[in-house]
Amino acid sequence: MAEPLVEVRGLAKAFGGREVVCDVTIRLVAGDLLGLVGANGGGKTTTLRMLAGLVTPDTGSGTVLGAAIRAGRIDRRRIGYMSQRLALYPELTVIENLHFHGQVHGLPRTAAGDALTRFGLEAVTAQRFGTLSGGWARRVQFAASVLHAPPLLLLDEPTAGLDAVTRAALWGWIMQFAGTGSAVVVSTHDLAEAERLPQIMLYHDGRASARTTPAAMIGAAGATSLEAAVLARAQA
Amino acid sequence: MSRLRRIAAVAAVEWARLLRTRIALTLLLIVPLLQIVLFGTAIRPNAAVALAIAASTASDTAAVAQKLRGQPGIAIVATGEPGSAEALVRRGGAVIGVELPEVRSFANPLAEGGPLRIVVDESNVALASAATARIEAAYWRTLATRGEVSSPGLRIERLYNPAARADWSFLPGLIGVTVMIAMIMLGALSLAREREGGTWEALLILPVARGEVLLGKLLPYVAIGSVQGLAVMAVGAWLFDLPVRGDALALAAILPLFATAHLVLGYAIAARASTQLAALQGAVAFYLPAMLLSGFLYPFATLPGWAQAIGNLFPLTHFIRAATGVMLRGEGGTDVLAQALPMAAFTVIAAAIAILSQARSLD
Repeated sequence: MAEPLVEVRGLAKAFGGREVVCDVTIRLVAGDLLGLVGANGGGKTTTLRMLAGLVTPDTGSGTVLGAAIRAGRIDRRRIGYMSQRLALYPELTVIENLHFHGQVHGLPRTAAGDALTRFGLEAVTAQRFGTLSGGWARRVQFAASVLHAPPLLLLDEPTAGLDAVTRAALWGWIMQFAGTGSAVVVSTHDLAEAERLPQIMLYHDGRASARTTPAAMIGAAGATSLEAAVLARAQA
Repeated sequence: MSRLRRIAAVAAVEWARLLRTRIALTLLLIVPLLQIVLFGTAIRPNAAVALAIAASTASDTAAVAQKLRGQPGIAIVATGEPGSAEALVRRGGAVIGVELPEVRSFANPLAEGGPLRIVVDESNVALASAATARIEAAYWRTLATRGEVSSPGLRIERLYNPAARADWSFLPGLIGVTVMIAMIMLGALSLAREREGGTWEALLILPVARGEVLLGKLLPYVAIGSVQGLAVMAVGAWLFDLPVRGDALALAAILPLFATAHLVLGYAIAARASTQLAALQGAVAFYLPAMLLSGFLYPFATLPGWAQAIGNLFPLTHFIRAATGVMLRGEGGTDVLAQALPMAAFTVIAAAIAILSQARSLD
């Protein structure tokens, strides 16, 4: 049985007395691609942040990359994280942003150039990140988050607000990256997109369903799409 | 080595961001130079104060005017009937009014006479104090020349600033104030801007330690602050003949430390503030008392003991002592070092607060 990269149980987090994540359990091994699916404000981002070590769970236990999740010692060199906000330096060019990420991860200077080619960013190499369109910015952000080939990749709404072509390209890279043996967790509120994922957890008001496949959820609801299945579940 | 590489990476990013925010860079370098020119030429505490004379007879008025004309620091702006000098002071047209007593005469047989009456506008204490001192000096000087007071002879020797130039007195402090304000603001904004721009979350997930982030982010600004201080010093020497009689190298050497102290403090303030606005308010809350209690705005020796104790905590206080000491008093490296030590202690404490306050999470 493969060694888990993430094995956490009963995670909960409250902000200002309001519980935003409650009793979430996740187990991930190399090659897993898990979608956290649900409406905005459902607790997906907080879950990702807890797995990244950016937010400390109030309760719960387990390990991320071998480190106790509540001890604040998760090895950040082995995590790739893409936040929902465009979080690279707007004054820096694309290549400079990638160089920065490469440098702090101890990668050779060629790593940034390789990423430009791999993700089709040559056309915007010298353009400042702050002047990029949303689609290009997301591509660059994705490139920065996987530059160091992390064994655990956490993506927070990576395709939100993107056109169909860029969305398809990003999903292609996400699937490809999971195929390299890393574990990937991706949050999305887009149920049509979530149907592409092999496994999902449905979030509602901070609580997550058991891990399942989109097909199983659709079948259990007797629906024709994940969106219909989720609506049926919400009305039940 | 990898630690140095990470610090260098953070510093390179901060440097590039600074260079590409042209307005900020221009303001950092140009504004201090304009300030020193403006303040150096505009602030003249030794300038003459306006004085009005009122007397019942024209001959009395002329006699007093003759005595006062040419006295240092006094400019006669009006003469007139009894009461007119006080009225002018009340209207804001003069700082001092000299009201000569009315003399009993055929035209005014009920006049009582009395002492010379001086009316001073005390709404501005600093100006009034200078005005009063000058009129008193003029009064005693007049008596002395008439032989009404015995004078054993008085010789005043002015050390370090023989011409009593006010600009020489405050320019060393202005160097410190300029660097202090710029650095504390930059320190605060460098972190607050990351948080509000969303890049802080991305930085937190990277394998860069808190101390590395602090060092990397502040190093470019230390260079800017040091250049800024040297530039202001050079302009002071060039435009206002401000001397540097002591160990100029020692003074230049404490500039990076002085800049670092305020950068780190600004960073610590921002680490505890939730927004850029809160960080800036925190910065202002620090530098206003620093200016008041450091000896820059008011002589340090005139502050009460408790205020001096607080004042001694500010790096600005020690910088002003070092700068004045080196520039005017010809002090050397040992004296500068004595002022650098409290600055270093302040920096270490502020750095510890900054690092501990800088969250490694978004909790």
